[in-house]
Amino acid sequence: MLFRKIVVACAVLCCVVGISCQKADNTPSTGETHKIRVVASLFPLYDFIKNVGKDRVAVELLLTPGVEPHSFEPKPADVLNLHHADVFVYTNKYMEPWVADIIKGIDNNKTLILDSSKGIVFINNEDEDHEGGHHEKEHGHAGMDPHIWLDLGNAVVMVDTIRDGLTQKDPAGKEYYQKNAEQYKAVLKDLDDKFRQGLSKCTKRTFINGGHLAFGYLAKRYGLTYVSAYGFSPDAEPTPGQLVKISRLLKEQGLKYIFYEELLAPRVAETLARETGAQLLFLHGAHNISKEEFGKGVSFAGLMEKNLENLEQGLQCR
Amino acid sequence: MPVKLVNIENLSYRYNSIDVLSDISCDIVAGEYIGLVGPNGSGKSTLIKLMLGLLVPTSGSVKLFGHPPAAMKYRERIGYLPQKMNFFNPYFPSTVKEIVSLGLVSKKKFPKRIGDSDEATIDRTLEMLNIADIKDKAIGDLSGGQQQRVFIARALVNDPELLLLDEPTTALDPETRENFFEILRRLNRDKKVTVVLVTHDTGTIGKYASKLLYIDKEIVFFGDFDEFCMSGDMTKFFGPSSQHLICHRHGMNILTVKQRPNND
Amino acid sequence: MPILEYLSYGFIQRAIITGAFISVLCSTLGVLLVLRRLSLIGDGLAHVTFGSVALGLLFGVYPIYISLPVVMASSLGILKLMERARIFGDAAIGILSAIGIAGGVMIASLAGGFNVDLFSYLFGNILSISIQEVYTSIVLSLIVLTVIVFNYHDIFSITFDEEFAKAGGVNTQKLNTMIVLFTAITVVLTMKVVGIMLTSALLIFPAVTAFQIARSFKNALLMAGAVALASVVIGIFLSLFFNLPTGASIVIVNAAFFGVAFIFKHTLRSGHD
Repeated sequence: MLFRKIVVACAVLCCVVGISCQKADNTPSTGETHKIRVVASLFPLYDFIKNVGKDRVAVELLLTPGVEPHSFEPKPADVLNLHHADVFVYTNKYMEPWVADIIKGIDNNKTLILDSSKGIVFINNEDEDHEGGHHEKEHGHAGMDPHIWLDLGNAVVMVDTIRDGLTQKDPAGKEYYQKNAEQYKAVLKDLDDKFRQGLSKCTKRTFINGGHLAFGYLAKRYGLTYVSAYGFSPDAEPTPGQLVKISRLLKEQGLKYIFYEELLAPRVAETLARETGAQLLFLHGAHNISKEEFGKGVSFAGLMEKNLENLEQGLQCR
Repeated sequence: MPVKLVNIENLSYRYNSIDVLSDISCDIVAGEYIGLVGPNGSGKSTLIKLMLGLLVPTSGSVKLFGHPPAAMKYRERIGYLPQKMNFFNPYFPSTVKEIVSLGLVSKKKFPKRIGDSDEATIDRTLEMLNIADIKDKAIGDLSGGQQQRVFIARALVNDPELLLLDEPTTALDPETRENFFEILRRLNRDKKVTVVLVTHDTGTIGKYASKLLYIDKEIVFFGDFDEFCMSGDMTKFFGPSSQHLICHRHGMNILTVKQRPNND
Repeated sequence: MPILEYLSYGFIQRAIITGAFISVLCSTLGVLLVLRRLSLIGDGLAHVTFGSVALGLLFGVYPIYISLPVVMASSLGILKLMERARIFGDAAIGILSAIGIAGGVMIASLAGGFNVDLFSYLFGNILSISIQEVYTSIVLSLIVLTVIVFNYHDIFSITFDEEFAKAGGVNTQKLNTMIVLFTAITVVLTMKVVGIMLTSALLIFPAVTAFQIARSFKNALLMAGAVALASVVIGIFLSLFFNLPTGASIVIVNAAFFGVAFIFKHTLRSGHD
C-alpha cells in the first residue's frame, strides 16, 4: 500500500516537472523572425527600448508589473528567458545586484548584455551634502544612488546606449534606430524643459518623500532639496529621530505637502501627514508599474509629466 | 442502601488497535477502600481516567455519582492524584501554595476567588502532610518526595468524598509513606471517604484496603482481601506459593513472584 | 529638554500608548504559550497571515477579512494536532508556517504582483500607528486581559496540569480554544500595528525573562508584564536618543532584560540545582 503511494507520488512529480520543462521551452517566439528579442529589467528601460526599437524589436519586462523591485529575485524561468534573448538591458549594478551572478552564466556571443549606466555619473550619497535617509548597504556599494533614470539628462544617455546596443545586434536597423532615438530624445528634452520651467518659480525648494531615497537625481537636476524617510531600500525602519527631523522641517519650511510613492504602503507618509497636517501627493519612481498601469499602457514620459504636476503643486509653484 | 459512587458496565477501551481494557464491570460503593492493582500496562491508570471522563470508552458505560463523566458533575466531591510522570514540568513557576489551591478550583463558581477561609483550609492540608514550612517555595526547588506530597495535598484539600490516587507512594520515603497511609486510613474510617488507590505494591495495600481490584486488561479479581487469599482463581493465576507469601503479609510484591512480561 | 519636545509628537505618543497595551497583552499570552511549548506560534501564525493577506489581495478583498478567519482556523488546527500528541505542537506550527509563507509567495508570484508590496502591507511599524489602530489595540488588550483575569484559576490550572483541571470539572476544551483564538487575533492585529518582529519578541521574551526569576505563577505573569512594558518605554527612548530603529531597539532591550535575569538567576542562586 505504501509502496503504491510512493510510485503514484513519483509519477505525479515527473509529470509536473515535465510540464514545467515544456513551458520553459515554449518561450514566446518573436512572431516575425526578424524581430530581435530584448529583455529589459526595469520599466523605464522597457519604455526606452520600445521607443527606440519600435517594430524591429520584441521587448519583455523582466520584473512583472506590481512587483517591488528592490526585493526582486529572478526565478529560474526568468533566467532561462535571458538565455534566449538577443539583448538584455539592465539599469546598473547597484539597482540590480543579482545581475552579476546571472551574467556569468550567459553566453556573450548569443546575448548582448547592456549596462544602461554606461557613461553616467552616479550620485554618491556619502559625498553629497544630502539630507535624510540612512544609507542602505543593500546594493553592494555603500551610498551609491541607483535611481539614475529619474534624471532626464541621464535618460538621454541611456537611450543612446540602447540605440548603440540594438544597432550592434541588428546593424541593418542602424538608421531606423537612429531616427527613433532622436525622436524620443526630443521628447525627453522637451520634458526636461518643462520641468526646468515649471520648477523654477516654486516658492518652496524642498520636497519630502515618505518613502525611500529614490528622487535624488531628480532633485539634483533641478536644484531642489530632497529629504526622504528611508534609505535606498524600503526595507529599513525609519528612526524616530528621522521622523522628528522631517516633521520639524515640514513645519519650519511651511511645507503643505508630503509625497508618497508607488508599490509601497504609505504608512510613514501618512504618519508624517497626520503629525503636520500636510496633504499627500503621489510621486511615481517609475521603477516598476502596477498591473493596471501596464494594462493601460502608461509611458515613462507620461509618468514623469504627472510627477511634474504633483511637484508643482507640492512645491507651491503656481 | 449502599451508595454506588462509581458504576462501570462492560467497559472496554481500545487505543491504537490495542485492547487496553476489556469488558470491565464493577461498582465502587461509598466507604470502600479499594486497592487497584495489576502489572504494568494492565490498564489501571486508564480505568481511573475513564472514570473521570479524561478518556472516552470504546464501548460500555461509566457512571460517576450517577452521571456519565462527560457531564462533569460533582467534581468538587472528588480528589484526584494523577500518575506523576505524565505531565509534570518542574520548571513551571509555581509555589506549593498555588498548586495546592488548584485543588479548590472545582468547588468554586465563577469568578473563583480564593478567600481567607480557603487559605486556612490550604494551610491545614499542608500541615497534615508536613509541608507547611515550604508553602512559598517553588515546586522546582523541592525533592521528589516533597513534590509528591504537594500533589497529594492538592488531591485532599477540597475535602473530597472520593479519592482516586494513581501510584501516590512511589516517590515517598518509608516514614512519609507511613504517614500518608495513616491519613488515608483516618479519612476512610472516620470521614467515610471512599479511596481507590492504584499501586504496584500489592503486599502493602493488603494492610489497608478493604477490597482488592486486580486488573490485567480484564478483571482478574474483585473482592475482599481475604477472599483474595482463598480464591481458586487467584491460585490458578499466580500459583499457590505466591498467595501464601502475600496473604501471610510477608510484604512481597506479587509481581516479583509471577514472571510477567513487561507490557509497557 | 529634548524629551518633552519628542513627547509632543503624536506618533511618539501613539507609539508609547499602543506599545504599552500591546506589550502587556503579548507578554501575558506569551507566559501561557511558552509554558505549553507553543513559543513559536507567533511566528507561525504570522507566516499564515502572510499567505492569507496574499489571498485577500488576490481576490481584491480587504485582507483582514480573510486573514482573521484563516489564522484563527490555523490556530485551531495547531490545537487539534497538539491534542493528538504533545510533541506535534511545534511540528504543527512549523507545517502551517511553511505552508503560509510558501502559499503567499506562490500566490504573489502567480498573481504577478500586487499594487502594493506585500511585505510593506503586512508589517506595521510602531512609529506609524494610526488613531484607529490605537483604539483597536487598547480594546483588544482590555478584552483579552479581562477575560484572562476573570478565568485566572482555570487558566492557571489547565496550563499547569490539564488532566487534573479537566478531572476537576474545568472546561479545558473551551479555554484552550479561547486562548488559541485570542493568540490568533492578537498576532494578526498587532502584526499590522507594530510588525511581526515586535509581536513575536513580545510573545516570547518577557515570559522567558520572568521565568528566570519568578517563583510563583502570579509573579511570573506580573513580572512578564512589567518587563514588557519597561522594554517598550526604554526601547522607545533609547531609539529617540541614539537615533536607532525603534522596533529593533525594543527587542534588544528585551534581550538585555533576559540576559540580566539569566545572570542573576545563575549567580545569586547558584546554590540550588
